[in-house]
Amino acid sequence: MEFLLELLTEELPASHIRSGRDQLEAGLRKELLEARIEVRSLTTLATPRRLVVAGDFAEGQEDREEVVAGPPLAIAKGPDGALTAAGKGFARSQGVDESRLEVVRTPKGEYLGFKRLAKGTPTAEILAAAVPRVLGALSFPKMMRWASSPFRFSRPIHGLLCVFGGAVVPTSFEGLTASDETVGHRIAAPGPIKAANLASYREALRTSFVVVDPAERKAIIAGQMEAALEPLKAKAYPDPELLDNLTLSVEYPLVILGSFPETYLRLPIEVLATAMREGQHLFSVVRDSQQLPYFLGVADTPGDAKGLIRRGNERVLRARLEDARFFWDQDRKLPLRDRAAGLKNVLFQEKLGTYDDKTQRLKKIVAYLSEKLGAADVKEAAVEAAALCKADLLTEMVKEFSGLQGRMGGLYAREEGLPEDIHLAIYEHYQPVGLEDASPSTTAGAILSIADKMDSIVGAIGVGLQVTGSSDPFGLRRNAHGVCKVALDRKLRFSFPLLLDRILAIYGDRLTLERAEVKSACLEFFAGRLRFILEKKGCRYDLVGAALGPGVDQIVDVQARVEALDALKSSPQFEPFILMAKRIHNILKGLPPAKINPDLFVEKEERELYSSLSIIGSNAQPMIARGDFARAQGIIFKLQPELNTFFDKVLVMAEDKRTRQNRLGLLQSIAKMLLSIADYSQIVVEGEKPAKPKGAR
Amino acid sequence: MSVQDLILGLHRFWAGQGCYLAQTYDLEVGAGTMTPDTFFRVLDRRDWRVGYVQPSRRPDDGRFGENPNRVQKHFQYQVIMKPSPAGIQDVYVQSLRSLGIVLEDHDLRFDEDNWESPTIGAWGVGWQVLLDGLEITQFTYFQQCGGIDLMPVPVEITYGLERLEMFLEQKDDIYDLDWSADVSYRDLRLREEKEFSEYNFNAASVAMLRQAFNACQKEAGRLAAKDLLLPAYDMCLKCSHNFNLLDSRGAISVTERVKMISQIRSLVNDIARRYTGGKDGA
Repeated sequence: MEFLLELLTEELPASHIRSGRDQLEAGLRKELLEARIEVRSLTTLATPRRLVVAGDFAEGQEDREEVVAGPPLAIAKGPDGALTAAGKGFARSQGVDESRLEVVRTPKGEYLGFKRLAKGTPTAEILAAAVPRVLGALSFPKMMRWASSPFRFSRPIHGLLCVFGGAVVPTSFEGLTASDETVGHRIAAPGPIKAANLASYREALRTSFVVVDPAERKAIIAGQMEAALEPLKAKAYPDPELLDNLTLSVEYPLVILGSFPETYLRLPIEVLATAMREGQHLFSVVRDSQQLPYFLGVADTPGDAKGLIRRGNERVLRARLEDARFFWDQDRKLPLRDRAAGLKNVLFQEKLGTYDDKTQRLKKIVAYLSEKLGAADVKEAAVEAAALCKADLLTEMVKEFSGLQGRMGGLYAREEGLPEDIHLAIYEHYQPVGLEDASPSTTAGAILSIADKMDSIVGAIGVGLQVTGSSDPFGLRRNAHGVCKVALDRKLRFSFPLLLDRILAIYGDRLTLERAEVKSACLEFFAGRLRFILEKKGCRYDLVGAALGPGVDQIVDVQARVEALDALKSSPQFEPFILMAKRIHNILKGLPPAKINPDLFVEKEERELYSSLSIIGSNAQPMIARGDFARAQGIIFKLQPELNTFFDKVLVMAEDKRTRQNRLGLLQSIAKMLLSIADYSQIVVEGEKPAKPKGAR
Repeated sequence: MSVQDLILGLHRFWAGQGCYLAQTYDLEVGAGTMTPDTFFRVLDRRDWRVGYVQPSRRPDDGRFGENPNRVQKHFQYQVIMKPSPAGIQDVYVQSLRSLGIVLEDHDLRFDEDNWESPTIGAWGVGWQVLLDGLEITQFTYFQQCGGIDLMPVPVEITYGLERLEMFLEQKDDIYDLDWSADVSYRDLRLREEKEFSEYNFNAASVAMLRQAFNACQKEAGRLAAKDLLLPAYDMCLKCSHNFNLLDSRGAISVTERVKMISQIRSLVNDIARRYTGGKDGA
């Protein structure tokens, strides 16, 4: 039977719509599952003013047989098997014929009882109770109150349409009584609409200029954009995020093609695109990656017959571009180096000082990283880029369009005639902004990107601005993802703990927490972020845990370890080897370190194992050092037969204390070598109960 | 339609919605929100409806009269409705229609934008209203003011009069607007913009502004302690304007900025606390 719910609201932010749809679907599914209502289908739809759920559910719960247990059998029946007074009393009180009574067996014993058919509750009744709960549980990143009520929601709510099987569900939510009515488009057709099912709802809304399905609106926008650009043989510059947000900000999309004077084409494409996108939500138009003097906008209206919407948008854009042109010309009058002096007056963070302080730190960090990465040839460029990279915060352009920070500095540096490795490093130093964004394309840029982010992370953690749950005011997660991504993308080998030491030393006594405390908090934070990144790439959580076991030294090694484990996990040697490693791990658990004295070996098998260990160890060591874990692992597999024999023939826990210590020492050096590749004890093999560790978010 | 007609139209419309038409407040403020007709009246539990024109001074936006869109003083039409009426969005849409705008020919959008003013401890949730891509109104459900949770919740509708007028007159340059049939915006304001830009950026005496800031701050604290809350609040407004001038003179260092804003905020929050904790209304 068909279900339809619409919560009519004031204009919701796009991000709230996305999360609201997910929450609605999950919430309703859960309620119906718990109520044992069969869900044949369940989908959500939305416009900026409507959160909609539609589904096909069973008409009611299935009738089911239930058992009513009465008094214990011993009391209810006499030795002759006849009902006692208690037994008869039970039948009477339940209103059942004595012939229907039977023995009910439970773990606690036998009772007198009977079976009866329980009628299922109708779905409408269940929905009437569930709908207010599901709606009331919706939560959004920023909630508000309105009028005189303490109730909080994303934006004020206005109507509740809720029908099941063509009839209004008798329910209400925060003063809204459910009905089969809603309204059309705010401007084009604001009148009431009646709807008893999804098909009539969609149809009625469409004639009232509302396309309720976001996927359909998106297709309409894409189609109209293509049609508008066809005569120009041009394309909209792809911007999936803008397209998604526009789809969720209109009820009835109309694509508008407008133009601007060609004189503004001398502005950098980044500036043009940003001026169009920010505030006015316009797409730029390109042909063969050349910017054209056109834009595309999406209006919420049936038509623009008089061209007023187009002309209005053109006028607004012209004013913005005129501002941008003014900034571009003004900003270039002062070289970045002179401008950077003003960073003394721009606060980075209250305790961490100004952007000038940060700049001085960045110069030292990039110098250090250039040397550690064996990139002395780019050191000078990286230090110069570090000295200039924050200067654009003081340009008029970045003050107006903060999203252009970094890129503007790069463009101005290029205009000043600075070499490419410097201006590109500045341009790209905020990259990657997320895990989907590209890493800097040059070594100097990669170094500056890592330095900038690490300075922020160490500083923030060092003054107690920890990331907790959903709160991450300093964007530390994003920064950490950026650092990991650059290291992984560009395969940069540097010791992460030593970098932390260097940055902590540079910060000196600015940080309020103890260095050791900050360092271990940073290491733990990064281990969590790497876990997140690798699991997101589809790596098995236990393999990630194993790869993180040796600790985060080289960021690239953590991924290399996982990849090695992943590549070997289906080899026949893998599982027996893991079991062996776990066995060693269990034997050694909690024991103090023991020394090996080769003279104390008694049995041939332990002597042989010891000598194989030295050979294999010295072979594997250089591979481990350069991060070739798959090959190191392959070599170490060779220990397996000797380990098997060792455990077969040798009693580790020998009576003689010295012999025992010596054997434990041997196992400890094996365990140590294994741990230089991975913590195998964390790997789950078949037949074991997988214990999912606390996942990092 | 001239700026003057626009103001008359909004007056007539909002008076029709039960608003009392206040006169412009006689101190420099950065936004209509800061005047007592909004600041104090949103704090208590009584119903309140008001509409008024308020010049908004933002010294840093001065452009010496050379920018067609940006001025260091512009005019806001400020509406407060408390509690926020259920159909207030529709009422707002009606206000635009009452100005003769045929909305069917245009693209009206409520675009997510949450307003806040750290100086007076105020924030709200709402939208910027875009008309064919032009921001004409800030529409806010006020959640907190003076650091106090507001109940009932007021809605604040702030029209940018020049923006709206540029739309109505279809003009690209603010100075080309007609204030009335005979007086242009240029006649009225250009000289003021030039002279005040020079004052804001170059001529204002930093020493005098600092003295004034400190004196007003002290006076605000002294008056608040005597429960003379409206005079104390006036002193905070003077602090705020002196701060803005010092800022546009480039005279405020990083640490000072944070300190000065928090000084004003704590005075304002104290006034708000006393106002709500004491007598019921002023």
